[in-house]
Amino acid sequence: MSRSLARFSFAERAAHWMAAISFIYAALTGLSLWSTHLYWLAAVLGGGPTVRWGHPWGGIVFAVVLGFIFLNWAGQMRLDADDRKWLAESHKYAMNEEEGLPEPGRFNAGQKMLFWVQSACALLLFASGFVLWWPAQMPRTLLSAAVLIHPATAIVAIAGILVHVYMGLLVVPGALHGMVRGEVSRGWAAAHHPKWLRETSKR
Amino acid sequence: MAVVAKLIDVSTCIGCKACEAACQEWNDNGFRISGFTGDYQTHETLAHDFWNLIQFNEVERPDGHVAWNMAKYQCMHCVDAGCMKACPAPGAIFRHENGTVDFDHDKCIGCGYCITGCPFDIPKLSPVTQKVYKCTLCSDRTSVGLEPACVKACPTNCLTFGARSDLVQIANARAETLRADGHEHAGVYNPQGVGGTNVLYVLPDASNPVQYGLPADPHISWTVSLWKGPLKWVGNLAFAGTIVGALFHYLRFGPKEEEKEGGDE
Amino acid sequence: MTNGWTDVANADVVLVMGGNPAENHPVGFRFVMEAKKSRKAKLVCVDPRFNRTAAVSDKYVQIRSGSDIAFLGGLIHHALSTGSFHEDYVKLHTNAPFLVEDGFGFEDGYFTGWNAETKKYDKSSWQYVKGPDGFARTDPTLEHPRSVFQLLKTHYSRYTPEKVSEICGCTPEEFTQAAEIVCSTGRAGGAGTILYALGWTQHSHSVQLIHTAAMLQLLLGNVGMPGGGINAQRGHSNIQGATDMGAWNALPGYLKLPRANHTSLAAYDGAYSPKALRPNSLNYWSNTNKFMASLLKAYYRDAATADNELGYHYLPKAAETADHSWGRLFDTMYEGGMDGLISFGMNPVANGPNSKKMIGALGKLKWLIVAENFETETAAFWDAKGLAADYYPQALDPKDIQTEVFLLPAACFAEKDGAFVNSSRWLQWKHAALDPPGDARDDHEIIGRLFLELQRLYREEGGTAPEPLLAMAWPYGNQTKPSLEEVAKEINGQFVQGGKQVSGFGELAADGSTICGNWLYAGSWTEAGNQMARQGQDDPTGLGLFANYAWSWPANRRVLYNRASADAEGKPWDPQRAPIQWKDGRWIGDVPDYSAAAPPERNGSFIMLAEGVAKLFAPDFAEGPFPEHYEPAESPVDNALHPAVKSNPAAIYYGRDVDKIGTADEYPYVAITYRLTEHYHYWTKHVASSAGLQSNFFVEIPEALAEEKGIQTRDRVRVRSARGMAEGFALVTRRMRPLQVAGKTVYQVGLPIHWGFVGRVKGPLVNNLTPSVMDPNSGTPEYKGFLVSLEKV
Repeated sequence: MSRSLARFSFAERAAHWMAAISFIYAALTGLSLWSTHLYWLAAVLGGGPTVRWGHPWGGIVFAVVLGFIFLNWAGQMRLDADDRKWLAESHKYAMNEEEGLPEPGRFNAGQKMLFWVQSACALLLFASGFVLWWPAQMPRTLLSAAVLIHPATAIVAIAGILVHVYMGLLVVPGALHGMVRGEVSRGWAAAHHPKWLRETSKR
Repeated sequence: MAVVAKLIDVSTCIGCKACEAACQEWNDNGFRISGFTGDYQTHETLAHDFWNLIQFNEVERPDGHVAWNMAKYQCMHCVDAGCMKACPAPGAIFRHENGTVDFDHDKCIGCGYCITGCPFDIPKLSPVTQKVYKCTLCSDRTSVGLEPACVKACPTNCLTFGARSDLVQIANARAETLRADGHEHAGVYNPQGVGGTNVLYVLPDASNPVQYGLPADPHISWTVSLWKGPLKWVGNLAFAGTIVGALFHYLRFGPKEEEKEGGDE
Repeated sequence: MTNGWTDVANADVVLVMGGNPAENHPVGFRFVMEAKKSRKAKLVCVDPRFNRTAAVSDKYVQIRSGSDIAFLGGLIHHALSTGSFHEDYVKLHTNAPFLVEDGFGFEDGYFTGWNAETKKYDKSSWQYVKGPDGFARTDPTLEHPRSVFQLLKTHYSRYTPEKVSEICGCTPEEFTQAAEIVCSTGRAGGAGTILYALGWTQHSHSVQLIHTAAMLQLLLGNVGMPGGGINAQRGHSNIQGATDMGAWNALPGYLKLPRANHTSLAAYDGAYSPKALRPNSLNYWSNTNKFMASLLKAYYRDAATADNELGYHYLPKAAETADHSWGRLFDTMYEGGMDGLISFGMNPVANGPNSKKMIGALGKLKWLIVAENFETETAAFWDAKGLAADYYPQALDPKDIQTEVFLLPAACFAEKDGAFVNSSRWLQWKHAALDPPGDARDDHEIIGRLFLELQRLYREEGGTAPEPLLAMAWPYGNQTKPSLEEVAKEINGQFVQGGKQVSGFGELAADGSTICGNWLYAGSWTEAGNQMARQGQDDPTGLGLFANYAWSWPANRRVLYNRASADAEGKPWDPQRAPIQWKDGRWIGDVPDYSAAAPPERNGSFIMLAEGVAKLFAPDFAEGPFPEHYEPAESPVDNALHPAVKSNPAAIYYGRDVDKIGTADEYPYVAITYRLTEHYHYWTKHVASSAGLQSNFFVEIPEALAEEKGIQTRDRVRVRSARGMAEGFALVTRRMRPLQVAGKTVYQVGLPIHWGFVGRVKGPLVNNLTPSVMDPNSGTPEYKGFLVSLEKV
């Protein structure tokens, strides 16, 4: 029996990284317009008009990919009783004291929360972004709402992704490999997703 | 250099559109054949290639008689300009020394945030150049000592150009005359919601500017103010907090164990 | 204008009626605004439509189109019955004291002398009582029952506020409020002006309408006063010049056409040199012989000799009673009575009444020359069926039209030098701003080449009566394109001996020793140079006379009849507004009406009239000495004053198959035509800016009528008259309200002109709808106040 476990299919990984790239592009172009102090980012990314042109398209790519991910994962992301218990005691997870926490399945409750938060943000970003894309055609009330909703949502989304990246790169060694190559070791699974490991092994 | 302004005495506007023609000619904007607007107005509203529009407002006066209010409509050159506040591209919207709000189209990125920022619905995006255009108060004329084209063309002296401080006095005096002449609500339109404007109006009935096509109490949308004010700090704090929090977390708790015994079956 | 644009700023009251200066004369309107701002003048606007002028007026009264005489008659009645008229002025400067023969009267809508068969008046009873000296007898107290004043009072006693309301559709209160403002100037020290335009001149009773206005101004003592007068706002930048130069049925300087019965120059001079009716009448037309002699000398130079009566017999003579008005011209053409037409800067298909008749008339010609900036409807008339099939289904196919059309590209106004004469009678010299495009030529070059070629053909090939053309002098340096300076100098006048310029019409002589192209313009280019090009902006009186800016006919006089601004001793009625005054044995100020040294009592103030004073009673007009309200030729109501005589009995009808007159049961609504500020006539639909600023033809419809018909703004509607149809967008408005006329609700619909079947923007010709009914004095068609029906498309 192999020591490796298949964690993410090719489609899942492709989607994840498409989403990641488009998110980063949208975030950087968005940030360049967020503050005049970050406007140098626009210069790096091709200049103001290019940024203004590219940002909505980056957003569209992100929204489409995320839609795919959502349809694929929404079923697995439902929070159950264990998840709620996990969340209530998530400070233990943060302090690397996982004993006593309910055992996570394929995704732990934190990941599930990220999923739901990012999905909600994407929806809001997409809707408000679409309004802002066509300022000449949109009613003023929508524009006024959109200029607030879009950056406010972006703050949440970017902060969430920062945490996600930090976790994936630094806090959980091996996680990046799982998302890159699609497989993890049984030991890794036992450490981070024991319930998933058990369920996979039963099959 | 003194702050300049344009005064529009609505009581003497006859809606002749000389200002429209002069504006189009001077700014090389050409003349589009328009669809029927339902009244005498040239277009429904301003456009990227039409910066000065006389609005024709047929309204009922309190005494039941009809009034036909004609008032010129263009960039107000606000003291607290919503377009400038909303613009993300440094230098794309700037203020001349004489107070005029102008666009630098080399720097404009066409995002259209100024459209949302403007409480008077002035800037318009060109579908061709993807840049935003509006009245410049003929900064290319005023910078060499000429009056704006519209003022030059106005046949009834309804338009006056000059130092803002002088025009405020002239406007107040004219409103006073109108009040003495039976227009009891005559007044000057210089809305404080945008810190005052460098385009001033004398209105025969200032109690209700809407009847002249002007917003009653214009101010920059609260969402724009929130976005460009508190939200900026919230966002900056959130980003910085997340990064610093992650740093401290890593320093304090470090990574989790990569693997655990018991995975093998 | 008796006064001028700059002078309007001197008014206390501005009555705008039959015009819409804010719309059509926006530049001149600045002086109305100036009067309002600096003098707190009141602007009263009386119009069928709440228009751009009404929007800035102090008092607006809505009336039915064609009811203006009733309104003005009411104002006269108001002035007389409330004593708000300027009595001293009336006694001194009008014919109010003159006594009228007992045979004159007015009954049931007719003045005495009506001939129902010829449809003309025998004017022999419209006479002053004359003494054995041949002068009219007067009663300076105005109390004689046969005095003009008493007759006038009686005539207008019927025009009560209630009657005005019944005819015009305004309320008696609205009328009285307006009357009180207008008549507030009926005193020494007050001055009110009247501004009018085509809203007055385009009726079947238009000359009488303007006479009524002049009478009102005379009663109020406003004629000759700065800030007063009776002021026609001319439409084209040079239409005043065209009129002065004798556009069609007059010679230059308002010299009348020679007729067949004027068989010698002396007979002509005698016929048009009236006899003074008062001892103090200067009677300036007694100088007709000098003006005519100088004109003939200008036409024929060396060929005009004492032996051939200065070439008088070269001039064509009209038949004794022939009508050569514009309408008659096209009627004759429609009947096949003309071979050719040269149309310069005019577009009869668009601007004539009943376009269908115009198109039909042109189709009867053998040849048509159109000199224009653009291809106009007239130049393209032969393709009317192709270009506007909906409107002219009966028009001939091009293959059935034999008219040969020549379109000559002509330079536009900005491409030519020369002078414009504005409404103020100012001759202003201008310089071409740019060269004409392509093959376009100046009008005078086209005329010059045409003349030279015709002269050559007659000289070489002969023909019927070649003498007039061969005798015509053409003394210009550049024969094909005479310099306009030369022409202007010739118009001013010169001495035959030595060739010096005359300094004014006082120097013109009857013996052939002077030449002058238009006596009214004598003084415009003197030995001191081109007076029209002067730019002096000094204004010592502060009245805006600007005597050194351009040059004003006659004699650089800025306020006509300015003598009337002063009393019998020459003391101004209003020292603040004195164009002239008698001081230290001289008249000082503006150029006076007569010699500056003539004492105040010597002459009457209205020097062009045989009476020497202004005429309240004017036995000159076709339909009576006093104006009377007559309904338009098409009207939805009876004449409330005399049901038996509804419309002007003397109006001109042509009665051809296309000259249909509609009735109210089929065409219930009153239509008016008018101009918009964005356009000039039918010309600017070719111009990008005008086409862009007002692109679409629309029909203004009162809200109540629109509701009745289920019409909303932006719907397409069709307007029909007995003559034709026009279709466009509906503009539903509260600015035209329904009127209550004689107990009946009358709706008016508004039709802006300016569109046609060629141009950047296209639309119907509104003149498809208008009737070819004319004023009998001026020959102007009734473009306002005709009947139409309205339907949603």
